[in-house]
Amino acid sequence: MKKGLYSCVCVVMLLLATSLWADTIYIPVASPYTGQLASFGEGVKNGALLKADELNAAGGINGNKVEIQLEDELCDPKEAASVATKLAKDPKYSIIIGHLCSSATLAALPIYRDAKLPAITPASTNVNIGKMSPYYFRNVYKDDFQGFFLAKYVHKIKNFKKIVIFYEVNDYSMGLMLAFMLEAKKLGIEILGTEAFTSETTDFKPQLTKFKMLKPDAVFIPGYAPQGTLIIGQATSMGFKVNFFGADGLDDELMLKNQNAEGLFVTTPFLPDKAGAQAESFIKAYKAKYNKEPNWFAANTYDAVGIAAAAMKAVGLKREDITKYLAGIDTKEKAYEGVTGKTYFDANGDCLKDAFIKTIKDGKWVSADQQLIE
Amino acid sequence: MVFDQSSLLLQQLVNGITLGGVYALIAVGYTMVYGVIQLINFAHGEIYMLAAFVALTLITQCHIPFFASFFITIGICGCLGVVLDYIAYRPIRKSPRLAALITAIGMSIFLQNLALILWGGQIHSFPQDVLPKIFTKIAINFSDVIVTWLEVFILCVTVCSMFILHYIITRTKIGIAMRAISQDKVTASLMGIPVNRVISFTFFIGSALGGVAGILVGIYYNAVFPTMGYVAGIKAFAAAVLGGIGSVPGAMLGGWVLGITEVLGAGYFSSEYRDGISYAVMILVILFKPSGLIGKPLPQKV
Repeated sequence: MKKGLYSCVCVVMLLLATSLWADTIYIPVASPYTGQLASFGEGVKNGALLKADELNAAGGINGNKVEIQLEDELCDPKEAASVATKLAKDPKYSIIIGHLCSSATLAALPIYRDAKLPAITPASTNVNIGKMSPYYFRNVYKDDFQGFFLAKYVHKIKNFKKIVIFYEVNDYSMGLMLAFMLEAKKLGIEILGTEAFTSETTDFKPQLTKFKMLKPDAVFIPGYAPQGTLIIGQATSMGFKVNFFGADGLDDELMLKNQNAEGLFVTTPFLPDKAGAQAESFIKAYKAKYNKEPNWFAANTYDAVGIAAAAMKAVGLKREDITKYLAGIDTKEKAYEGVTGKTYFDANGDCLKDAFIKTIKDGKWVSADQQLIE
Repeated sequence: MVFDQSSLLLQQLVNGITLGGVYALIAVGYTMVYGVIQLINFAHGEIYMLAAFVALTLITQCHIPFFASFFITIGICGCLGVVLDYIAYRPIRKSPRLAALITAIGMSIFLQNLALILWGGQIHSFPQDVLPKIFTKIAINFSDVIVTWLEVFILCVTVCSMFILHYIITRTKIGIAMRAISQDKVTASLMGIPVNRVISFTFFIGSALGGVAGILVGIYYNAVFPTMGYVAGIKAFAAAVLGGIGSVPGAMLGGWVLGITEVLGAGYFSSEYRDGISYAVMILVILFKPSGLIGKPLPQKV
């Protein structure tokens, strides 16, 4: 008899547990999870899943369970467009988090715009993204800001006078280069030369040979880490000793495997030890779950999912309403307070955030001794 | 420009000759197989990629010294070529050439994805401490032109491989058999030449040379990844066509011409259009000399 009672209770509890969630809300997070830039995607994935766990532990979105749906696009514009088409067609999605690479975001952008589907990119920094669609928002700075910032930093703190730029042929890298060159001209930094490469390039020696003859103070690599580490390695093997610096695209664990990358410095939107008090519990939870420090991809995606959840909590699941809500976050007072600071959008859906400098010291990424806070 | 133009040119030539030698090694594999069975073996670039991965695994996982790994890998790649021929090409040897070509593309995709599963999509590199120390040392330093021992090693290996190959093709019995088959398969078999065995041997030599190129490139650029064979394969194919497909000395010449043009194009014109420049040179040569630089002119069909 007692046994029967127990099983009865169990069944009731089970029923309660399954019916606790009214419904499931799917949030797609599009990024490269395989391929060359898979390690960037790992941060995105970890950040998104951690936020979803915390949301669900706190009762989900108005009683609905949050589920992150990972969409792999390999950072390839063609793949990104096909993922975007699939997501835009399905009415069960109210908002997209992604994409990571600027070229992928620019390929997906018109598809979301035509479907009036709002999207937040946690990582794409190309200048044009916000301007091209009223449905695209981002909680990361733009390349013009990043490029200006880097130019000011190398001018004021590092005192570099002659620089060469080694860029990749893609939207992110070229946008960054243009911004840097604009500010460098104002500050009187001399750009001795620019050379290009593509994502398939593994032989950088012809261009590096040219750079070596120009004898610059530093080489600026506005590209991604897989090529960045090869460039630095090949330069060293050619006896080309020079300072290297880059932007957030080089901010990756991969660089640490290269002994020659010591002293490399890059811009980043998030530094664990420079983050405010609000980030403390995030960093702690992240370390507990993944056993490593969160990088900026993780922090920004964590906040992007948070913003999306706040929007759905406030106005429901209609695409239009969410877009209106996000566009309404337009002043510092209304800003979303996350682990990366206050996020609020300008008329284009872009946001203004601080940049930090991190550098490789003794085979580890650390905050640079000298930051440039404006 | 404030620097010495001649030393820039010299350094770029060093880069070009190294790259061209590697293209030549891969191109020879294409051209040999084409010469013998008129098949463009698109999976050849994948053998080159697998060589780099196998060498990397042997050195870092099995802790076999570099030079031993080098020779083991070459052997493995040669065998891989034979297996490839045995399972993919031999069963359809008598079918139309298009069927074999599609099979070759299929094998290429299969091998590329196999590598993706086994090793993952990221770029792998050789840790600096497992390679012989001498590779990073400078062999020649002549007014800013630097040649490392690794470049000397690559050039020596390339040239030696070519000489050995030339000897095999012109002076040995199996080489004569290969040339006989390339002229007329049926007559050769009537003369008592074991056609299938000779074709297997051709695949062995071609793939072994592709393997040599794979390891050399893997350590030279320090980048090993599953899609590396695609671009290199296309470039080497272009080199083989440039030199005259089916001709071994043509493939060697084509490799060097392509490598040097590519590097000079990137160094002097525009690094953005680097690949475009090298293909444009190929197209120009083919336009004016359709059989390639030293290929035999095609017989007129009446």
